[in-house]
Amino acid sequence: MADLMIKRDVPFSLYDVDILSATDEQLGQISAEMSLSLSLDEMKVIRDYFKKEGRNPTDVELQSLGQAWSEHCCYKSSKPILKEFVFGIDRDDVLSKGDAGVMVFDDDYGYALRIESHNHPSAIEPYGGAATGIGGILRDVVCMGAQPIGLADPLCFGPIDHKGDLPPGIKHPRYLVNGVVSGIRDYGNRVGIPTITGGFFFDEKYTGNCLVNVACLGIVKREDLANNFAGGPGEVMILIGGRTGRDGIHGVNFASADLTATSDEDSRGAVQLGDPITKEPVMHACFEVNARHLITGMKDLGGGGLSCVVGEMALDCGCGADVDLEKVPLKEPGLAPWEIWVSESQERMMCTCKPENVQEVLDIFEMWDVLAIPVAKTTDLKRTRLFWDGELIFDMDLEFLTGGPVYNRPYTLPEVSTKEKEKFPELPSDKDVILTLLSDLNVASKEWAIRQYDHEVRAGTAIHPMVGEMNAAGPGDASVLIPVPGRMKALAAAIGCNPWFTEADPYKGGMSCIDETCRNLVAVGARPHAFTDCLNFGNPEKPERLGEFREAVRGIGEIARALNIPIPSGNVSLYNEAPGGNHILPTPMILGCGLMDDVRKAVTADFKKTGSCIFVVGKTKDEMGASLLFRKFGGEQGAVPDVDIDALKRYMDKLLSAMDEGIVLSCHDCSDGGIAVAVAEMCISGQCGAEIDLSAMMGSSVQRKLYSESNSRWIVEVDGMDVTRFTEIMGDDAELIGITKGNALKIKDNGTVVPLEDMIKAWNEPIWNIMGGAAE
Amino acid sequence: MKAEDVRVCVIRIEGTNCEDEMANAFTMVGAQAEKVHLKQLIGQAPASMQRSLEDYDVLAFPGGFSAGDYVRAGAIFGARIKSAIGSDVKRFVEAGKPVLGICNGFQILVEMGLLPAIEETMSESPTAALYNNNSGRFECRPTVLRNDNRGKCVFTSEVPQKSLLMIPSAHAEGKLMSMDPDFVQKLEDNDQVVFRYVCPDGSDAEYPWNPNGSPSDIAGICNPAGNVMGMMPHPERVMTRFTHPDWTRGYDSEDGDGKIIFQSVMKYLEKL
Repeated sequence: MADLMIKRDVPFSLYDVDILSATDEQLGQISAEMSLSLSLDEMKVIRDYFKKEGRNPTDVELQSLGQAWSEHCCYKSSKPILKEFVFGIDRDDVLSKGDAGVMVFDDDYGYALRIESHNHPSAIEPYGGAATGIGGILRDVVCMGAQPIGLADPLCFGPIDHKGDLPPGIKHPRYLVNGVVSGIRDYGNRVGIPTITGGFFFDEKYTGNCLVNVACLGIVKREDLANNFAGGPGEVMILIGGRTGRDGIHGVNFASADLTATSDEDSRGAVQLGDPITKEPVMHACFEVNARHLITGMKDLGGGGLSCVVGEMALDCGCGADVDLEKVPLKEPGLAPWEIWVSESQERMMCTCKPENVQEVLDIFEMWDVLAIPVAKTTDLKRTRLFWDGELIFDMDLEFLTGGPVYNRPYTLPEVSTKEKEKFPELPSDKDVILTLLSDLNVASKEWAIRQYDHEVRAGTAIHPMVGEMNAAGPGDASVLIPVPGRMKALAAAIGCNPWFTEADPYKGGMSCIDETCRNLVAVGARPHAFTDCLNFGNPEKPERLGEFREAVRGIGEIARALNIPIPSGNVSLYNEAPGGNHILPTPMILGCGLMDDVRKAVTADFKKTGSCIFVVGKTKDEMGASLLFRKFGGEQGAVPDVDIDALKRYMDKLLSAMDEGIVLSCHDCSDGGIAVAVAEMCISGQCGAEIDLSAMMGSSVQRKLYSESNSRWIVEVDGMDVTRFTEIMGDDAELIGITKGNALKIKDNGTVVPLEDMIKAWNEPIWNIMGGAAE
Repeated sequence: MKAEDVRVCVIRIEGTNCEDEMANAFTMVGAQAEKVHLKQLIGQAPASMQRSLEDYDVLAFPGGFSAGDYVRAGAIFGARIKSAIGSDVKRFVEAGKPVLGICNGFQILVEMGLLPAIEETMSESPTAALYNNNSGRFECRPTVLRNDNRGKCVFTSEVPQKSLLMIPSAHAEGKLMSMDPDFVQKLEDNDQVVFRYVCPDGSDAEYPWNPNGSPSDIAGICNPAGNVMGMMPHPERVMTRFTHPDWTRGYDSEDGDGKIIFQSVMKYLEKL
């Protein structure tokens, strides 16, 4: 191998790599030793390209291809499937599908949305991995010209009460949770963007590979909506923000392979270092140059660093670029050109502007003490050329470089969980069942994390992540922002995901994730308007894993299309497998956004008073598959909840019109733990009991009615005086199941009584107890 | 002076992050608010962007993590402004012009020696500090404040004495401490205590209603003259009822509880 790397006679580190005379075996060696993560077939395609060019590539060129052709950057395994099922749900109110999606908010404003994963870095270094995840997603929104207004962080871990040994290379889930939450807190709070929603999902299958998904919403004046590419040839590219260093080299390759027992030692250099106090002025300065229309485009430096951003900004306007790489400001001297070119150091953005505006742009960055250096020019040649003190070190066709391979990899369809094979578990008393479900880590209060995040900064949080009595609140469904001061128009955001359904039946699971997102949005009175998805799955080179992915994406696409709700941005994270090949639960994480014209009509999930009527909206079916009840008590198989999309639409329309009339006192999504847990949670947040009677509902088993997790259902509280009007609106789609009363949850069908204080304790304490309790 | 003539300087450096809502709060009560970078006040900006502190009627320090707060919260901002234009700020205060610090802004005022300033307008070194919360955590939660000021503070002139306001808190370092064992008594004697944390029924606060363990439940104080106030909770976040955490459980007014603090200072300025 050494004799294939030919040092060029220049006063810096540069190698010509002799791939033209390399054997196949040597090609594989080159890929491995340079950490390119390119397959032999891909290396052969590259050899053919350079044969035509009549020369060998430099190490900079090969490294650049390793970045551009990684799964993370070019979606080579997932693209055909995404194209088939989820792309192309177009509506007039999609304003952009750039680095973040942008949708119409009102006549003057658009809102941006985007979700992304930062899984592998967080598994190695949870604090830095999560913090830089936040940094990256903020930049995606900023480069649309949008002011970030809210963060959302759904996280998946192994059980934090895990006892006993862990396999080599795996960190304890409690340590990971602590690190990740601290990273989100310290970065999000410092940049002053509220963390308004999120979620925690705990399962053994995440022990070896945790998931850290980060989402961001933004608001932008429609006239200030920015492009993520240059305006044409002859423009100047200005690199903004942090210096470039050795942190974050090969991050995208690390994200495009399974974790191993030695990932910790091997890949720590792939985790970037975040700096929120560089980020904060970068954002201000970017908004200023954008609002003054001094720039033609901006884009953040994420995966692949400069190597990706330069080419994409140029190619998207049909141009090429000439880069003077020695001008890039460094954290330390001595980086090789290839390291500078692919480093993923944080807090960097690129903007393009006409030559006559360069000075004014630089002055603004100077005012904010933000480093800004012109490093490149766009050309009318569709090639990227790199120079180091005038020496040409890189000269490639952009379409070849960014084209990347696409694979139709083989897949096998998964076997799904069925009613026929169902085994219903032995259950203790319903009181014990309800308290056990409330204290399950997936249901229990997340207050420990929520209150460490500033969820109110920017003064726009109208519905908070916890709802009900102050400092004694319960779980909300969606958070609501009023992003434009003085206007009542509101933006709601909610997470929806059920990885257990998705494992048991990926197609229905995919649909369920969207259904749940819609339920959460409608529960606060918002009409679902757009989704962004982060698809976390296992190794696509394994046919079973790719089959899960394909089926889940089919489910998501089908329901989104039928609802005509676009997905203007998204992210795919594959290779989520632990050392030893244990794969995660297939996890399609959805962030949904909803709009409401008047925030004053928003509804929360806490019961408001005693003596009101409780309804269930939607049909409760015998669908116990992958339910919390089965998982907790050892049930097996069972039908996974399906979605009747027409019914979902009808329920949403009716419920929203009842809310518009102001006759819904409270409303809560019915999900994990079914009706029983949903009603119990409304009791907890409202500090009020309830008496329910399910005998009028279809079906014979009280327990199936109580704990089934059928989709498209809500629990609704209505004042007695408004019941007639409510049933007029809802027709047969809502069923009266009880009243709010007393200080216990009573189930008349079987005489169960669960005292309110027991429910509060069961729900409130588990995570506090594990993570460290209140001050005293 | 008329409300529309009141000019508010909302001052910021890198890491200040509550300036938008602070400026908006003053705009909502009729003033003209401008977000001004410290560099603009100390001659380190292009000519067209330079500003002079004396042209403003109110100086407001918003919350955030100025300069990252990697050393003591507010210390770097405090040191920077004091070394550059400390005497201008002192003159501003001695002219009776209002100065407000919220959260990190409060921490900055203490670091600058503008609060508690028991002996002089601006003490040479800090005489108090805002310590880590007892919980050791950042605490973002609703807090209820009682106006315990007897009439000196210009930011509570319109707030009935002993009345309660829901003003949310969000900080990791909010426990007001001093080396002086008689600190609280001196504040009390000078009518420098403005807000105390209480329970929603008005009784003495315990955690979480006192989110940081501040002695005597002190949430906000003013200088002896009453025109400089610092407080940990965020009134600018509750200018409207619809950002209160529990408004869906019923409300009387569409105004949020924070608005009256900004209205108070405007009333004071209108009388000048």
